[in-house]
Amino acid sequence: MLRIALQSLAHDRGKLVASIAGVAFAATLVFAQVGLYAGFLQSSSAVIRHVGGDVWVMARGTVVVDNGERLSAGSREIAAAHPCVERVRGLVLSFQALRKPNGSLEAVQIVGFEPSPKQVLPWAMARGLPQDLHPPMRVAVDRLDVEKLAIDGDPIGAELGIGAESVRVAAVTDGIRAFTLAPYVFAELATARRLTLLGSDQAFYWVLDLARPECASEVVASVDRHPDLVARRTDDFREMTETYWVAGSGAGAALGFSALLGLVVGVVIVGQTLYAVTKEHLRELATLKAIGASPAEIVSFVGWQAAFLALVGGGLGLGMAFGVRNLAVDAGLTIVLSGPVLALGSAAVLLMCAVASVWSVRAVLALEAAEVFR
Amino acid sequence: MTRVLVRSVALEKTFGEGELATPVLKGISVEVAAGELVLLMGPSGSGKTTLISVLAGLLRPTAGHVELCGAPISDLHEADVTRVRRRHLGFVFQSYNLFPALTALDNIAEVLKLKGLAARDARARATRALTDVGLGDRLHHRPGQLSGGQKQRVAIARALAGDPALILGDEVTAALDTHTALHVLAILRAQVNAERGILLVTHDKRLEQFADRVIEIEDGQISRVTPGGARTGAAA
Repeated sequence: MLRIALQSLAHDRGKLVASIAGVAFAATLVFAQVGLYAGFLQSSSAVIRHVGGDVWVMARGTVVVDNGERLSAGSREIAAAHPCVERVRGLVLSFQALRKPNGSLEAVQIVGFEPSPKQVLPWAMARGLPQDLHPPMRVAVDRLDVEKLAIDGDPIGAELGIGAESVRVAAVTDGIRAFTLAPYVFAELATARRLTLLGSDQAFYWVLDLARPECASEVVASVDRHPDLVARRTDDFREMTETYWVAGSGAGAALGFSALLGLVVGVVIVGQTLYAVTKEHLRELATLKAIGASPAEIVSFVGWQAAFLALVGGGLGLGMAFGVRNLAVDAGLTIVLSGPVLALGSAAVLLMCAVASVWSVRAVLALEAAEVFR
Repeated sequence: MTRVLVRSVALEKTFGEGELATPVLKGISVEVAAGELVLLMGPSGSGKTTLISVLAGLLRPTAGHVELCGAPISDLHEADVTRVRRRHLGFVFQSYNLFPALTALDNIAEVLKLKGLAARDARARATRALTDVGLGDRLHHRPGQLSGGQKQRVAIARALAGDPALILGDEVTAALDTHTALHVLAILRAQVNAERGILLVTHDKRLEQFADRVIEIEDGQISRVTPGGARTGAAA
C-alpha cells in the first residue's frame, strides 16, 4: 500500500508541492514558537543556571531573581553556618541607571559575581576573557547592546558612567541578553558592590556550594529559621523565576497561540490535500476493498500519505526553523532548538498530520465495497 | 462432477425500511459452476447489480442464503467474507478502476502484495498476467497512456493474476468499440476452465455468443434462462 499511497500523492505535483510547503510553513512556525518559548525560559533564568550552586539564599519575599534585595551584613555567616556548606559565593543582581556617552540614561542590570573554578562567568565571550574583568571598575557588555548603550567605535576601552562611578569596558559578551531587555553589565563582585553601593560583606544573593548535594534540605531548613532570609534549591528558584516571567507576563500564552495557529493552518492545508487525493481514488480504494483489502490496509493509504507529508514537510520546516534561529540572533531573540524542543515540535507536526488525516480516514472507512458496481 | 462456485437460494434484498422499503431481489436462486461463463442480463433497475454485489459478499442479503466457493458468506462475519473474497474472487469493472499514478505492472503487483505475495513474486506474476493478455510491451505504461481496450485488459490481468476461482464483471465492454469488446470477451472466455467460472453483468447482446448460459432478470426475479452461443455453437 506504501507504493500506491505515495505514487498517488506524487501524481498531482501541484497539490504535493502545496502540501509540503504548507506542512513546512506550519512546522517552521511550531519549531520557532516552541524554540522561542524555550529561549524565553532559558534567558529568564540564565543567570541562575550559569551561576549554579546548590542552594540560593535571598531576602524573604523574593520570587524572581531579577527582583532580589540587598542582604544585611552578617547574612553570609548565617548562610555558611551549616557544616555541609563548602563554599559561599556572593552575587549582585541589581538594576542601575547607566549614563551613556551621549549623556542619556539607560536602565542596566549589574551582574556581579565571584570567579569560581566551577563556573565560567560571563558564560559566552565575543571579545576578551573573563579574567579581563579582574582589575577594578572593569565591566563587560554584550555585543548586541553596544548600539543601545550608544557606544561608538570599538567597545573595548569605552567609558560608561553608572551612578556616580565610572567604568571601562574590558570585554564583550556574545549574545547574553536579559529577559527584561535591560542590558546586562557583568563585573566582578568588588566592582559590582561599588556600583550598587554595597558594603564589602553584602550581596543580593549568597550562592551555596554544598559538600554533599543531598544535604540541601537541611541547609534550606537551617537558613529558613532566620526571619529575614529564605533559601531555595537552585532548580526551585530557577523554576520560580521562569514561571514568574514567562507565564506571568503572558509571553507563554502568546507564543502558544501562535504555535497553535500554525498547527491549524497546517491541519487545513494537509487535510485538504489528503481529502482531495482520497476522494479522487475512492473508486480504486473501493476496488481494493472488494478484492479483499482489510479496513486497516485501506486506512494505510491515507496513513502513509500523512506520514510522508509529516516527514518531508516537517524536515523542511525544521531546516527553515534553524535558518530563522540564526536570523533571530541578530534581532536579539533566542530560539532554542534543543533535543526536547525538537521532540516536542516533531510530535506536534505528527499530531497535526494525524488530525489532518481524520476526514480522509473517515471517508475510506465509510466506503462500501459495493460502490465498485455503481 | 462440476464444482459450483457460487450459489444463492431464495435470495432477497430490500433497501430501506417501513414505507420506504424497496424490494430489489425477490427470491432469486442461481448458481455458477466452474467451466461456465454466465451472463446476467436485464433492463436497468432490474436488480442485476444488486444480485452480483450480494453474490460477491459486498452486500448482505435481507433473506436467503449465499455460498461462495463452499463458504456460507451470508452467515459469516465481515472479516471472514473479506478473506473469502481475497482468496477466491477477481473483479473486472466498466471503468477499469486502475490507479492512475501506477504503471500497469504496479496496478497488478500491488494488489497481489495485498493478497500476501512477496514483492518479487507479485511482480513476476503480474508480468506473466499482462503478457497473457497481450500487454507484455505495456508493463510500464500508466493507465493514461493506454487505450480503453488496453486498460480493460490490464483490469482483466489484475483479476486473473490472483488466480481466482470466480471472476465477476460489471459491464466490462460498455466503454469499448465492437472489435475491442469482442477481443476482450475472447480473452475472458479463454480463462474459463475446469477450475474457474465467470459471471458477467451486461446489457451487451454481442456477448451472448461467448456465454454458456444467459440469465435474464426482471423486476428482481429471474425471468428466463437460456443457453448461450458457446453451448449452441453460435460462437464467433
